[in-house]
Amino acid sequence: MTFDLTILAPHIPFLLKGAVLTAEACVLALVGSLCIGMIVAALVTSASPILSRIAYIYVDLFRNIPFIVQLFFFFYGLPEIGIYLDAFATGVIALSIAGGAFTSDVIRSGILSIDTGILEAAEVSGLSKPTIFRKIVMPIALRTSVRPLGSVFINLILTSSILSTITLNELTGSAKIVASDTFRPFEIYAVLLVAYASLTYLVSLAIGALHRYLNRDQSGVA
Amino acid sequence: MISVRGVRKAFGAATVLDGIDLDVHSGEVVSILGSSGSGKSTLIRCMNGLEKLDAGCITIDDFDVSRPKELTEARKRSATVFQLFNLYPHMTAVQNIALAPVEVLKIPPKQAEADARALLESVGLSARADAFPSQLSGGQRQRVGICRALAMKPRYLLLDEITSALDPEMTSDVLAILAKLASDGTTMVFVTHEIEFARTISSRVVFLDKGQLVVDLPTAEFFAADGGMAKPRIAQFLSKMRKD
Repeated sequence: MTFDLTILAPHIPFLLKGAVLTAEACVLALVGSLCIGMIVAALVTSASPILSRIAYIYVDLFRNIPFIVQLFFFFYGLPEIGIYLDAFATGVIALSIAGGAFTSDVIRSGILSIDTGILEAAEVSGLSKPTIFRKIVMPIALRTSVRPLGSVFINLILTSSILSTITLNELTGSAKIVASDTFRPFEIYAVLLVAYASLTYLVSLAIGALHRYLNRDQSGVA
Repeated sequence: MISVRGVRKAFGAATVLDGIDLDVHSGEVVSILGSSGSGKSTLIRCMNGLEKLDAGCITIDDFDVSRPKELTEARKRSATVFQLFNLYPHMTAVQNIALAPVEVLKIPPKQAEADARALLESVGLSARADAFPSQLSGGQRQRVGICRALAMKPRYLLLDEITSALDPEMTSDVLAILAKLASDGTTMVFVTHEIEFARTISSRVVFLDKGQLVVDLPTAEFFAADGGMAKPRIAQFLSKMRKD
């Protein structure tokens, strides 16, 4: 067998379309999981025992169920009770909800690591609780959490390949189709390996840059 | 006026404040002295509403700090400077100072920043205005902390052992600022171990021991041999502090 990438040339537009779909789903899921994560982390660390309990149940539930089971439930289960979503929307929502559970845990750790003296200073200066959360708690929590959040986001990107199981022809789904068309799985999956590695490497670089920016005060004397 | 009436506070079985009565009038500088564990810092924390009272009442300009709605108004009138600075680590010195004026007093951001820079200039920190707390020395951080409190234009300044974490040189820088504030007529309640400084700038000295207010006297009277010093506990405390 020869390693011949030229056989993929006619399929490049199709694969690129899949890659764009993966990128779209991942960006939306990253934003969704970050939003859910922040809200859930706020609830978990809130003074309300009921809200905190509800948030913990969500985190425990979605961290302990295989993602593919969650995905099948949303895509094949919900229509049984009259809730229909297309594959893309289902994928983004499922990734956001699953990712939100992990993201919230990371942000919660960041919130709990904040020195209580800082929060007391904010409180006595008259800042409202929402302002303290928005201007003090979340920025500090995110800057300490950005690296572990990066790992969660990379895992989310890798998990997005499972969306091909619900008929979504994202990058992996497109590659499977091309592999069955060309009978050249070695080349196509080799390209897929490189594509995912490149994608996650870019995210790692972005996370590193964000970490340096958010912690720029630690980098030397201003 | 800050009015403290019959304040009691316990943590578990330990009674930290046991029926404290104290008035602080506008323009006064009141030093609170006492050994560690006497309840000084807890009294400040009760005044700014960080600790709930078990009994008694504290009002700041007639606003009861135990009532959430009135606490907001009380906090607009008083500002606290902490021992460990408690600056927001992700914000520059200017941002630390300007945040509350913008969010609480609704001062336009540009005006708040200009005010913050002016305050920093007044404490000799104009060149460090855009530095983050981690890039400042302890003394510089505490000066930023004082500016942050002053930016709220408080009627009362509550200072909780603000030089305890500083070396002698930094301490003298910070005390010089407090002396200037005192001479400007700023009302201050400060917990301190700087006995000589308390003697210099205070109008009154309050001594706490085991959660009880032992004496509340004008400064000269407190340090007089037949005044506060006549009490064995105070004489013992001052003697030990001076040796240290």
